[in-house]
Amino acid sequence: MNLSEIMVIVLIVLPSSSFVFLRRGMATASAVIASVEVGVASWIYFFPPPVGIFYVTPLTWIFILMVSSVYLLATIYSIRYMEGLKVWISPSHYYLMLNLFTSAMLFSLVINDYGLMWVGIESTTVLSALLIVLEKNENTLEATWRYIILVSAGVAFAFISIILIYYTTGSLSVSVDTGAGATGRYVSLAVGIALLGFGTKVGVFPVHTWLPDAHSEAPPAVSAMFSGVLLPVALYVLYRIYEIQPMPYLYGSVAVLSIVFSAIFLGNQKRYKRMFAYSTMENMNLALLGFAIHTDISIAGAILLLLAHSYGKAGAFFSSGSILKHTGSHKIGRVNGVFRDLPMTGTSLLLSSLAVTGAPPSGVFFAEILIFMALVTRGYYIFFVITIISVFLSFVSINYNVGRMLFSDSSGIRERRSPLTYISLISSIMPSLVGILFLVGYYAMF
Amino acid sequence: MMLVNEVIIPLSTAILITAFYVQGQAFISSMIRGQAFQSVLLAIISLIMGYLTGSYDYLALAVLIILMRAFLVTYLLERKMGEEKSQVQESRVNVAYLFLLSLIFIVISVFIVYSISFSHIGLRTIEAGPDVLVFPITLFFQGLFLIGSRRNTFAQIIGYVEEENAIVLLAVFLIPIPFLVEASAFLDVLALVVISSLVVEVKQDHTRIEELRG
Repeated sequence: MNLSEIMVIVLIVLPSSSFVFLRRGMATASAVIASVEVGVASWIYFFPPPVGIFYVTPLTWIFILMVSSVYLLATIYSIRYMEGLKVWISPSHYYLMLNLFTSAMLFSLVINDYGLMWVGIESTTVLSALLIVLEKNENTLEATWRYIILVSAGVAFAFISIILIYYTTGSLSVSVDTGAGATGRYVSLAVGIALLGFGTKVGVFPVHTWLPDAHSEAPPAVSAMFSGVLLPVALYVLYRIYEIQPMPYLYGSVAVLSIVFSAIFLGNQKRYKRMFAYSTMENMNLALLGFAIHTDISIAGAILLLLAHSYGKAGAFFSSGSILKHTGSHKIGRVNGVFRDLPMTGTSLLLSSLAVTGAPPSGVFFAEILIFMALVTRGYYIFFVITIISVFLSFVSINYNVGRMLFSDSSGIRERRSPLTYISLISSIMPSLVGILFLVGYYAMF
Repeated sequence: MMLVNEVIIPLSTAILITAFYVQGQAFISSMIRGQAFQSVLLAIISLIMGYLTGSYDYLALAVLIILMRAFLVTYLLERKMGEEKSQVQESRVNVAYLFLLSLIFIVISVFIVYSISFSHIGLRTIEAGPDVLVFPITLFFQGLFLIGSRRNTFAQIIGYVEEENAIVLLAVFLIPIPFLVEASAFLDVLALVVISSLVVEVKQDHTRIEELRG
């Protein structure tokens, strides 16, 4: 075992090792560990492990970066958010579950085995379920239960796909199977079943129903982790299976249908966290569409979208958490004058909302252009027309609702400035930085 | 081949009978016992497969199924039901109607899925035609239907365990079993039972909530 492999093991194990601080200093230890994780992730970029137990490509590394950085933001945000909050599980156990949840996601990303990837994804459900029910009431319990039963049933279905992959290729190695060029009826069946199975966790219509409930009822940091990294990790696993035998029309049709339905759902939202949950569904399916088309441009678009979205959506949920703390209401209609009363939170909400809906210079904007370009150049004109109309409708729905919250009359609340607002703001600016970096890189290349 | 026809197919049929028995029950304790018996039958099939193939993996799988599903799941669920467990039943449920609906749903879905997807597949573990895959496919849809048709946490957990049993049965028939199937089955049921037992403690029925609509 060489140093690079050891560093990957450190990356996976380090968050889990926080249990030694369970009695004392768990919050601080988690924040320190999360910072170290970002450093370890950077190290892995320069010294990736050889293909063997682990399979870390540049694509994998971007996902590792997303997980470790959103984990850092969520941990720091949680420290202040948890203060004075009545919680069902102790704060130490909350951080432990958050850390174990992160370990499971990182394990799913780097392991070179479809079966163990499945185990990792299934573990994320178990480890994150208790995080939703942190503030115990009837709504959080129901949302947790729906999350457990729907996602577990869906991911169990995905295990049939794993069985069929082993049946057809005789191997579960990701690096072997993706390059083997396997074809045939049962490979297609495996790839198709994976769409429905892992698609449950990605937020594919019609198996997305857990998503708005869990996102709206979970604490903001957990919603940020779900939306920003958990769903992308599930999408990464789905894409690794898709690579065995790409089925662009099946995956593309389901992605487009999901984008259409998310636009419809977004037109009728009365609660802001739920609205951002449906926005996540839209963005995940746009990324799925990019992967489904399977050209260099569309894949680049999907990756750029996921990266920018992870920070933007974290910013949106962090801002939502601050608004909820100040106003005590989940309803869009009951939140007024955020821009006047809570200027920093309002700014971060506006920036993140514009970022995740694809306003320039957010990375989501450039990602959408890349995906649309790929759709047109490959002749998917119907997909292109339906998607662009749906994306426009989603943009209008979300920003109209956010505008109502921001620019209506003042409700007389005064902002208590805290690290919560700064973390929201940093997260909201990140998608634009990603977009600008992409532009700079693009012009440097050509 | 004779062992398959005379033992494995009757056992698989018995598994399906337990699944329909569970669907037809209103009392939760009967459902739990039905699930336990179903898991024992699955473990026996795994033992026979071990005998046929000479692989110890099947023995390990049988032991895990007995420990996790037949004993642990049953014990945890019955404990959560409290003292009056023989009286606990799901309210507002028309068992006869749901049973009929389940039969219709399963006949249609199994016919479609089997005829399109599995009717020509060759099995790698036993000398039998693809027809035996009708058993795990039927069990899978029955588990899904149980989850979808009931509002009670216990009933939904049992539906999920049935779904898991179906996947193990499918894997046992289809591929030479890697350790993974055992590990996955173990993780899955353990996780669900541990987490769900916490939820069961505070919430046993699931109805529509205004805040979670739309």
